[in-house]
This record gives sequence, C-alpha cells and structure tokens, in this order.
Amino acid sequence: MIITRKKDRKILLDTVKEHKSFFLLGCSECASLCGTGGEPELKELKELLESEGKTVAGTFVAKTGCQVLGTKIELKGQKEVLDRVDAIIVMSCGAGTQSMVEVFESKAVYPSNDSMFLGNMTRLQFFDERCSLCGECILDKTGGICPVTACPKGILNGPCGGTKDGNCEISPEVKCAWVRIYERMAKLGQTEKFKETVIPPKNWSASIKPRKIVARPEAKEEKKK
Amino acid sequence: MSFKEALNSGKFVVTAEVGPPKGTDIKEMVHHIHLLKDKVDALNVTDNQSAVMRICSLAVCKIVMENGAEPILQMTCRDRNRIGLQSDLLGAAVLGIKTVLCMTGDHVLAGDHKEAKPVYDLESVQLLKVVDGLNKGKDMSGNEMQGATDFYQGAVVTPESNPIEPQLAKFEKKIRAGANFFQTQAIYDIGAFGKFMGVARKHPVKVLAGLVILKSAGMANFLNKNVPGIRVPQELIDELKAAGKEKALETGMDIAARHIRRLKDEKICDGVHIMAIGMEDKVPVIMEKAGLL
Repeated sequence: MIITRKKDRKILLDTVKEHKSFFLLGCSECASLCGTGGEPELKELKELLESEGKTVAGTFVAKTGCQVLGTKIELKGQKEVLDRVDAIIVMSCGAGTQSMVEVFESKAVYPSNDSMFLGNMTRLQFFDERCSLCGECILDKTGGICPVTACPKGILNGPCGGTKDGNCEISPEVKCAWVRIYERMAKLGQTEKFKETVIPPKNWSASIKPRKIVARPEAKEEKKK
Repeated sequence: MSFKEALNSGKFVVTAEVGPPKGTDIKEMVHHIHLLKDKVDALNVTDNQSAVMRICSLAVCKIVMENGAEPILQMTCRDRNRIGLQSDLLGAAVLGIKTVLCMTGDHVLAGDHKEAKPVYDLESVQLLKVVDGLNKGKDMSGNEMQGATDFYQGAVVTPESNPIEPQLAKFEKKIRAGANFFQTQAIYDIGAFGKFMGVARKHPVKVLAGLVILKSAGMANFLNKNVPGIRVPQELIDELKAAGKEKALETGMDIAARHIRRLKDEKICDGVHIMAIGMEDKVPVIMEKAGLL
C-alpha cells in the first residue's frame, strides 16, 4: 500500500489560510490503514479547522481515492456542497489528491499528507519499504528480497564493506540486505546461484516518469467505435 | 617500474594514500606526495573519501604524476552515473593514469553533504566490468570507441567482514568482472588474514593488505566499535595500553612494521597498502622499521 504521513498541522493551516470553507476527502484504503485519512482523522482535522474559525461544509471517505472515475461517481451526491466550498483537502496520498484535481478543474485542492513509499504493514501501523517500483523486478535472482530497496546503496551484487556484524552501517538496527539474501538463498539451497549470479546494471529507463500503462489495449478501439 | 610491473615482478609492493584536501590549498598534500614518492610504488588518491566533499580524485592524480609519483585513481559510484563514470575514465586515460580502483563508495549519510542524492547507478562489480569494456574499446552501451583505455583495474575487499561468505562471493564476482588486484580494509590479525589469503590465492589476483597505524588503545577500541570490517585483536590493544600514552604511537608503528615483515617474509600476500590518515610522515619510518627501505 501507499504509506502516507500527516503533514505538520501548522504548515497545513498556513497553506490553506486564504480559504474559509472546506470539503475533506479521505480514503478507505491505504490512508485509513495508515491513520492519515480515515473517519477519525477527518473528524480530527474538521475540529482543528473549525477551531481556527474555518467552515467544514462536508466530509467523505472515498472507497478508493486513486480510482478517478469511481471517486467521481461516489461524489455525485456531494455535488451541492462541493460546489459551495472554497477548497478541498484530500487526506490520502498524492494520487488521491490528483484524482480530485482532475475531477474539479477549477477548485483549489490541497494534500494533508506527505506520500512516503510503497510499504508492507508488518504490525498495525508499522510500515516497511520493500519495493521501489523500479519497473524491472529482480526478486527472482535475489531470493525474493529486493536489494534495490533494502540496501541504501541499491547494490546488486553482494554486501559492501559497511556490513557490521551482519547489520547495515547506514541503519545499524537493520540487517544488511545482502546478508539476508545470502541466508535466504542458503536456506533454499541456492548458495551456488548466489555466487554465480552477476546482476547487470539496471535499466533505469524502465522507471522514467511519468509512467503510463494501458493494460486493456482493446479499450482504445472501443473508444474509437 | 610501474605499479603493475612491480606487482607482476613478484616484488613486495607498497602503496600509500593521498587524501585530497577540501579547498584549493594543496601545499600540504604536495609535501606528502614528495615525502612518499620515492618510497612507495604508487599512491592511491581517494575519491571524496567518507563522502566528504574535497578536490576530485582525477585532478589530484594528475598532480601526483606531475610531482613524480604514480597514482591509483579511486573511483566510487556514489556521485556519478554511468555517463559521468565512463567519461571520467576516458579523461583519466588521456591524462596518463594507468591504474584505477573501483569501489561502490561510502554512503552520502557518512559525509558532510547528507542531503545529497546518492547516485549508485552502478556499483563496484559493475564498474569493474565497465573498465574491462573500455579496455576492449567499447562503452557500456556497446558503442565502439575511437581508442580504447588500457587500465590496470583493481578493487577492495574486507577480509574481516562478518559474515564472511557473502563478502567472499562478492570478492570472486569482482575477480570475474576483471579485478587484477585488491587492496583490503585494514587488517590486524595476520593469522585470520592468512586464512582469507588461502581463498584469495586460488585466484590469479594480487592482494595488498591494508594497514592503518594504531595511535593508541583508545583508537583501537574506537575502530572495533565503530568501523565495519575492522577488528583489532585484544592482545594488540593490551600491547598499546602497556606502552603507555607516551610510547603508544611508537608501539603502533612497531606493530605495523612487525605485520609488514611477517606478511613479506611468510609471503602471505603481495604487498601492503598503508593508510596513514594524516600521519603520512610516519610511513617512511614504518617502512624503515619493516626493512623495506
């Protein structure tokens, strides 16, 4: 999921100070799990804005805020309120915020969160970054552990000289990605594969921004008809 | 005799280090070059060591040559992408630099520009392959170049890395990628280093043992606690402690000289790389104590 973190509330209030009335939009997916854009957080921000003399004319938790069409349809019932407010504060990720920018062309839209990374939840609201969305997955070569993400240097062929008692010099509380890969591959009986595999330089053109995928090529034809 | 020729002649080779300064005043650095140039076989020029911004390695290599010594260009992957690295390698070649040491490089968080974007487009194993390609006249994209390089390329290894297995696997990958020689992280346990050399000797590569002069028991404890891949055995710490404050540095130099003698006499490795880190004037003294001058 996309891990988000609340922006400093003082900074947020300063950012929106020119506006008087707001609509708050959360998201039931990642942001709710992160505790940044579910019902409790909407309520909390509503109260904060009201304590600053602002009006919160409406709040809504979208099912999936990054789904543009679905969210647009969900918000049809809120049209009257949305037309009336000065600005929308989106309490999900940068993708959710930009869904609203697309739907409301001439309305100010602000993010209440910083979008951090694609993460795994290991315990309630404990998040680890394990995938960098590099566009060229090498997990098949590394025992299923991603060195592009788990190694601060993104080294692809073994540990650097900064391994200290199996841990990373940069984050001493974290185990060295390449020690983890070695141990995992040893358990799988792939020690030889570990030694023999030389991973070539990554093709970073696979992650040149902005990326776009149409997973339904026939859709273009449908549109033409 | 060049560094490469010296290594291949079977001579016990000595390299030392030149640390480029932060700023344009190079008087002290040039003084160090003169102090060492007739005593060692080559001088490593560090590449923004510890991720602290300084004069670039390439320019200082040129100054080393102008002052009559042979430089080893240290190249890290931290600050340049593959275009920058290859371009600087071609630049080094036309300046007459013969030897390059390929490293991944300390992370920017270790240095004095912590907000910098770490590059790491390549890493050490891949950089070695790139040098091998340039030597064969081809860039990383397979384009034919007008004129190939002729580098003698090496790499680094940490014999005391814990756990050792993944480090050894990487060591072997570096050899397959074209490394001709290795300079090691500082070693203090000659017996343990001998075991590492047992593995290294199975390969056609030259190994220079890394030495860092111990100034005191406190420094030894600091290294053990803070520097990954360095392990100073307790008996050396006791020896430094017993020497007392006044004699600690002298004892540290004696230890270094004793280690060099043993590495050479027992033919454990092919030479030593002395990292003086501010004590360049002590390098000739240690070499003399070790019977190398």
